[in-house]
Amino acid sequence: MTASVKMTARNLDFYYGDFKALQDISLDVVENQVTALIGPSGCGKSTFLRCLNRMNDLIPTSRVVGDVLLDNRNIYDPSEDVVSIRRRVGMVFQKPNPFPKTIFENVAYGLRINGSRDKGFIAETVERSLKQAALWDEVKDRLDATALGLSGGQQQRLCIARALAVQPEVVLMDEPASALDPIATQKIEELIHLLKKSYTIVIVTHNMQQAARVSDVTAFFYMGKLVEVDSTETLFTRPQNQQTEDYITGRFG
Amino acid sequence: MESHFHRELDKLKMTLIQMAALSERAMVTACQAFFARDVDLAEEVIQNDREINLLEVEIDKQSLKLLALDQPMARDLRFIVAGLRIAVDLERVADQAVNISQRVRFLGSRPPLPRDPVMEQLSEASLDMLKLAISAFVNQDANQAMDVCTMDDKVDELNVMVLKNLIDYMMNEVPAVERSVQTIIVARCMERTADHATNIAESVTFIVRGLNIKHHSST
Ligand SMILES: Nc1ncnc2c1ncn2[C@@H]1O[C@H](COP(=O)(O)OP(=O)(O)OP(=O)(O)O)[C@@H](O)[C@H]1O
Ligand SMILES: [Mg+2]
Repeated sequence: MTASVKMTARNLDFYYGDFKALQDISLDVVENQVTALIGPSGCGKSTFLRCLNRMNDLIPTSRVVGDVLLDNRNIYDPSEDVVSIRRRVGMVFQKPNPFPKTIFENVAYGLRINGSRDKGFIAETVERSLKQAALWDEVKDRLDATALGLSGGQQQRLCIARALAVQPEVVLMDEPASALDPIATQKIEELIHLLKKSYTIVIVTHNMQQAARVSDVTAFFYMGKLVEVDSTETLFTRPQNQQTEDYITGRFG
Repeated sequence: MESHFHRELDKLKMTLIQMAALSERAMVTACQAFFARDVDLAEEVIQNDREINLLEVEIDKQSLKLLALDQPMARDLRFIVAGLRIAVDLERVADQAVNISQRVRFLGSRPPLPRDPVMEQLSEASLDMLKLAISAFVNQDANQAMDVCTMDDKVDELNVMVLKNLIDYMMNEVPAVERSVQTIIVARCMERTADHATNIAESVTFIVRGLNIKHHSST
């Protein structure tokens, strides 16, 4: 299996008004790999992640310069359809954010939005997605119960199932385990290992050990710049850049 | 900002330096005892070995704790992993010193063999390598470490020369066979010490540069 590039940021700048939050980022995201983004708070990880599915479009006065390619097509090209890009590049947020609906409806939500009416197909997809998110066994007997009754870890896996239901190609995760206990965190990490067989994953995490455990490639951001990117093993055992070294060995600032 | 982890890491480095100092002293003293045929000095080396063994155990303990509790990264991780290897090499150096000292016990009770200046060169060269390797570790100096590695061939050559000289000597002096064999073992211990110095230097290179230069591997 040869690694192929799924997404590419090319000379990407990003502005919030006058503030340049990202400077000249060039980064390849390889298909069926987990790419981790690390760096101190405020360095632009979430901003970069949101650039990958145009989530930043929602922020007024924001501006993108440069390209983000998905299968070699620039997602910022005016001819591209934002809704379809967000379907292909899904997102899971830091805090689990289930809708105040049933477990079933939470997962079916994206399908209904996309105009799906076929009940059999929807039921099948909900089951498959919950299984992929390693939640099925825990909820299969109470699909009609409210999602808000689930534990935090279960809610987060529900949100992952919701993201997977529309069959995205890329899944973006912004600190998906930061609100979870060690056992729930371990489940999410196991899940990430399983998911990369079928999806391409980009994950932001403040937990370096987590980045080391789950990712194939790690990128270190600092003050809006991509300082270093390398295979996770290399980056954590022999980084090339002194800033990376200082950050990952806890000697920063 | 000095974290608890980095203070503990400094402590580990101090323990390693302490062990290195003791191993170096053991080897220097053993060589002195050999040339001076000083059995008391040799006994001292044998006595002191226990302390070095205890330090090795202590280094294992400290390292394991840091690996388990702090999940170190990058250079810190390389330091701990290489430190464990360095402790093994230092312990073996001390064992070579003990081995030499045990030969001195025997040789000291027999008439001396004729002086072989090559033996002195061998001892000097391997002690130089050991000292330089330890200095490379203390200063985390990859250039010094590289110098150590280039010195090893010379020591091997000297060891072969000592061996040849002693074999020639034994041929003609049958009563001196046992003393000659014991002296060959001493030379072998000096040569092994140089090998451990090379290992230590390779470990230092790994810490500083992140490169594994063992067996000419490149990563
Ligand atoms: N909506 C916004 N409007 C203006 N500035 C913003 C906005 N969102 C983020 N920023 C700024 O952009 C920079 C990057 O923020 P971002 O949220 O991408 O950082 P981060 O690396 O994800 O940090 P953290 O680890 O704390 O989540 C910060 O200086 C932040 O204050
Ligand atoms: Mg963020």
